[in-house]
Amino acid sequence: MTKWNGLSTTWVGPSTYINEFKNPIFWQVLTNNALLLLSVPIAILIPMFIAFLLNEKVVGWQLFRSVYFLPTALSWVVIGMISVRFFAQEGLLNSLLKSIGLGLIKTDLLSSERTALLAVGITFIWSMVGTNIMIFLTGMSNLDVSLNEAAKLDGASTFQIFRKVTLPQLKKFIQFSFVITVISAFTGLFSLIFVMTGGGPGFGTTTLEFFVYQSAFSKGDFGTGSMLGLILFVIMAGLGAFQLTLTRSKE
Amino acid sequence: MKTKLNKLVIFSMMSIFAVVMLYPFYFMLNTSFKSNEQFISGSNSFSLDSWDKLFSSLPITRQLINSIIVCFSSILIILILSSLAGFGLAKLKFKGTPLLFIGIIGAMLVPLHSVIIPAYVNISKFHLLTSYWGAVIMYAALGTPFATFLMTSFFNGLPDEIVEASIMDGLNFKGIFRKIAIPLALPAIATVVVLQFIQIWCDLLVGLLFLQNPENRTLTVGLGALSAGRTTDIPVLMAGSLVSAVPAIIVYLVFQKQIVTGLTAGIGK
Repeated sequence: MTKWNGLSTTWVGPSTYINEFKNPIFWQVLTNNALLLLSVPIAILIPMFIAFLLNEKVVGWQLFRSVYFLPTALSWVVIGMISVRFFAQEGLLNSLLKSIGLGLIKTDLLSSERTALLAVGITFIWSMVGTNIMIFLTGMSNLDVSLNEAAKLDGASTFQIFRKVTLPQLKKFIQFSFVITVISAFTGLFSLIFVMTGGGPGFGTTTLEFFVYQSAFSKGDFGTGSMLGLILFVIMAGLGAFQLTLTRSKE
Repeated sequence: MKTKLNKLVIFSMMSIFAVVMLYPFYFMLNTSFKSNEQFISGSNSFSLDSWDKLFSSLPITRQLINSIIVCFSSILIILILSSLAGFGLAKLKFKGTPLLFIGIIGAMLVPLHSVIIPAYVNISKFHLLTSYWGAVIMYAALGTPFATFLMTSFFNGLPDEIVEASIMDGLNFKGIFRKIAIPLALPAIATVVVLQFIQIWCDLLVGLLFLQNPENRTLTVGLGALSAGRTTDIPVLMAGSLVSAVPAIIVYLVFQKQIVTGLTAGIGK
């Protein structure tokens, strides 16, 4: 709530907040965050399915497990750089489309606002897969196998067993991976956006965390930057409280 | 027969997925062994040009050393603070312990971006932005809460009888901590070290802001700055990425078990 000129601060009251709430870019940034949240269910369901496959313990499953976990060691910076090449006009995505006869759809996802956000979302999902697979594998290794046997004897199908027996036992792990994925979506994407799009085109891929950086360190407006940081904190605290009440009420 | 078919289907699905996950590694390797001209023309020939350029025209060795210095110092601070705090919180309980513990958990939940501006202003006032110290202090401050959480839960699992027996044997708390607690806590310490190493090694934001002197930049920050500067020499970028990725990959493969332990520590029983 102060004005910052690099040397001294002046008290300006809540005007920074009011100005920001009138700023259409601020709302666009929040919308970007909300849209990125749409990738969270996918970033949970795909790993759950893969962990389910791994848990069947087919030949070589330990090797596959390590392979799937490996990308987690890559920095978002590196992932971002490769991802830019992947989505580029002469990148792999377009070659793939061409090879399956869809050469007409020549994509250039990173060149317009909404599609650039889609590209960031896809990369985000890809990077979360390893972590979430590990969470679900840990969960599945603790499952009570005798329940499966009993259900099988009662004539339940594989799908029914998964829904009625396995899923309830995994609830805690699903919640945990949900929390991790949402936290990453809100506060872990700085490097990815910095490398992939720099927040653009326009403000197409600027999320709240990136907006904090832009306002404070590119534009030098530390007051607005701090305020945005505080809003991010309030959102995260709200999500945390929501998550806590959800867990409590179920127990 | 049916199960065999099932297994085949599962195996092929997993193989396809493995290709998706391994593609970036293939891309890095493949591209880094081409010269920029070969990459642009899409030729399949092999060249060490980019590796040569990486080491001759970029301060890559310097940045590797910086990464090691920053990682090592921050992790050392984190280990000292978290093992002492964890032992204290678990074994030297006093009235305020639960409150203190909740405070530390709370610190884990504060997003970096909410505190980074005040931290930046403070650290710049101490003139630490041009040395390693600014970044080291930040990494230590960011890593210590989670490390303390891990160490506390580890020491909580250590039976009180061990401490009591050692007191009977005439050891004071300093002795117990050094001779009994730390040796027993080695698995937990390994988890902390590995998790923090990956985090700090791969970080961009803190390094970008708190290592103002380009000579102090870590490898990841150097790469991030290069790619944001819209360098068009992609093969060199990929060679650099590979150099930065290899240490983290080795740590991952060797310490996979510790990482999973640390990762799932938050779920509880």
